[in-house]
Amino acid sequence: MNSESTLVGRTRARPGAFGFLTDTTLCIGCKACEVACKQWNQLPMDDFGFTGMSYDNTGDLGATTWRHVAFIERVADRQGRRPTRLQPFQSHWLMLSDVCKHCVNAGCMEACPTGAIIRTEFDTVVIQQDVCNGCGYCVPACPFGVPALSPLDGKAHKCTLCYDRLKDGLEPACSKACPTDAIQFGPVHALMDRAKARVAELQAQGVDARIYGDEALGGTGGIGGLNAFFILTAPPEVYNLPAAPELPQRRVLPAFLTTALAALVLGVATLLSFWRTKEVRHG
Amino acid sequence: MAELRRWQHRRAPGEPVSAETRESYYGLPVIHGPHWRWPIVFYFVLGGLAGGSAVLAAAARLVGGRWARSVVRIGRYLAFLAVLPGPLLLIVDLGRPERFHHMLRVVKLRSPMSVGVWGLVGFTASAFLNALWQAAEDGLLGRRGVVRCIRRLPDRGLAAMSLLPAFFLAGYTGVLLGATAVPLWARNALRLGPLFLCSALSSAAAALSLLVGSGPDVQRVRRALERVEQVALVGELALLEAVQRGSGDVVGRPITVGLEGRAYAGARASAGLALGLHLLARVVPRRCRTVLRVLAALVAFGGAFLLRAAMVFGGRCSAEDPRATFVMTRGERH
Ligand code: SF4
Ligand code: SF4
Repeated sequence: MNSESTLVGRTRARPGAFGFLTDTTLCIGCKACEVACKQWNQLPMDDFGFTGMSYDNTGDLGATTWRHVAFIERVADRQGRRPTRLQPFQSHWLMLSDVCKHCVNAGCMEACPTGAIIRTEFDTVVIQQDVCNGCGYCVPACPFGVPALSPLDGKAHKCTLCYDRLKDGLEPACSKACPTDAIQFGPVHALMDRAKARVAELQAQGVDARIYGDEALGGTGGIGGLNAFFILTAPPEVYNLPAAPELPQRRVLPAFLTTALAALVLGVATLLSFWRTKEVRHG
Repeated sequence: MAELRRWQHRRAPGEPVSAETRESYYGLPVIHGPHWRWPIVFYFVLGGLAGGSAVLAAAARLVGGRWARSVVRIGRYLAFLAVLPGPLLLIVDLGRPERFHHMLRVVKLRSPMSVGVWGLVGFTASAFLNALWQAAEDGLLGRRGVVRCIRRLPDRGLAAMSLLPAFFLAGYTGVLLGATAVPLWARNALRLGPLFLCSALSSAAAALSLLVGSGPDVQRVRRALERVEQVALVGELALLEAVQRGSGDVVGRPITVGLEGRAYAGARASAGLALGLHLLARVVPRRCRTVLRVLAALVAFGGAFLLRAAMVFGGRCSAEDPRATFVMTRGERH
């Protein structure tokens, strides 16, 4: 058993792994990442409309939306307490540019029955579009709600961490476009060191900062860390992120064992009933 | 593309935005739900029926003696016929049906979908061989040389060989659901496989007891099938109760309220009713017995269907509920 403190800032990412550090304290909510992603990856527009809930008119990650900027207005709780030191007349927004986490152990990849989802030489997780047959099993197998089936071509899509750009030595389109460097691209371990320093700096200023994507938070339950990770200043649920998700495939072996046990019991009962049932004489 | 984006039908009318942001991100789901609908429900039902029939046929062949031959014969035919639509239902469900064979390019033991596909292939092969032998034995294929070759296959060996894929096909679908991030399924990962197995066996025993018709040993056959059905129904009832209790208020909401909740309650009532009818059939006069047993079989079969529908559609609801996901993923620190 690891104690909580040894898990903070720890990731099982391979030494050569690349990923994102998304520092939400730097995000100004300009959505340049969303636009750059759509443009580079030639993703079609989503239905245009207003959600009517915040400046977030994207709503969700999806088959044609691989970066999604969430806008959270921190309102007072039921007791009227505001989760901020700002004055009541000032609103308090949190922004987070959500993306596929490129998990160290990826639920989507383990679930895929065609082997369409692969781990690349950059240790990112990519769906090969010429292999996917749209079975849709990766969709509920992702603990973060990232991949989705496209109604346009019937296949599953998600962030590729700009595999084509990495191949040519370019950084991904979103981090390139981010004007405040809230999205930083680089080797995961270097980014993690940077994140730890940044969190320490924020905590010294009295900000409730934390890393989301190490083995203590977000990369829990066998996931082993997230290659695309975040610095948050509120509990992850506020950003619609699960605090301690679990790798779904951890349940496969135990579930097969209980099923086998049930099969054994039922099998014996069935054999016994055909073996022992006597002739019925009186109907 | 006319589908609504998720936020477009998310909010309860009249509820202010600020109320939603306290406990979740504007009430939006955390995870993406499965796209599975009726084809998968029917596949689960038919797969259970096929697997259960094959188990009963094999058991009857291995230890049953001459009197149980009707179970062997009808069980083998039913297993093969019931599994035939399975692959078609799965292929229709794909986003790119013409690429169905991509499933066959890998074997991944940690992916229940992958082992499931291979299990289905194995079951279909074994059900085909069993049904073929039976057809040759029954003289349905004529008396040519090939047929004589088929009949030379070891019959008991075929029966014994079919047991493993049969149990697998009947139970793996529960593991398939459990190995996802969907709260209702994930919470019940250890229970769904056994639950689907019980329901598969009870529905197959019910179907066979309706189909064995009238023979000299029909009473004895019915009695044996009934015993199996009762054991399976008792297990099913216990597991249905365990799933409901183990899910708790938040995660178990989809199988408590709404249409899915009613289907789940219906599955439970059916299992109980079928069991009750069987017990009742023991005490009433002989004339009424057949009616009660036919009724019990129909009810048990309907219950198996309701259970699959409640679990598949309930999982879709569960994925939509951010609170359920957060209950499942809270961890100790938060
Ligand atoms: S976040 Fe989801 S889609 Fe991305 S790698 Fe992890 S499991 Fe796969
Ligand atoms: S939808 Fe495609 S990528 Fe996802 S699990 Fe199925 S085959 Fe794999």
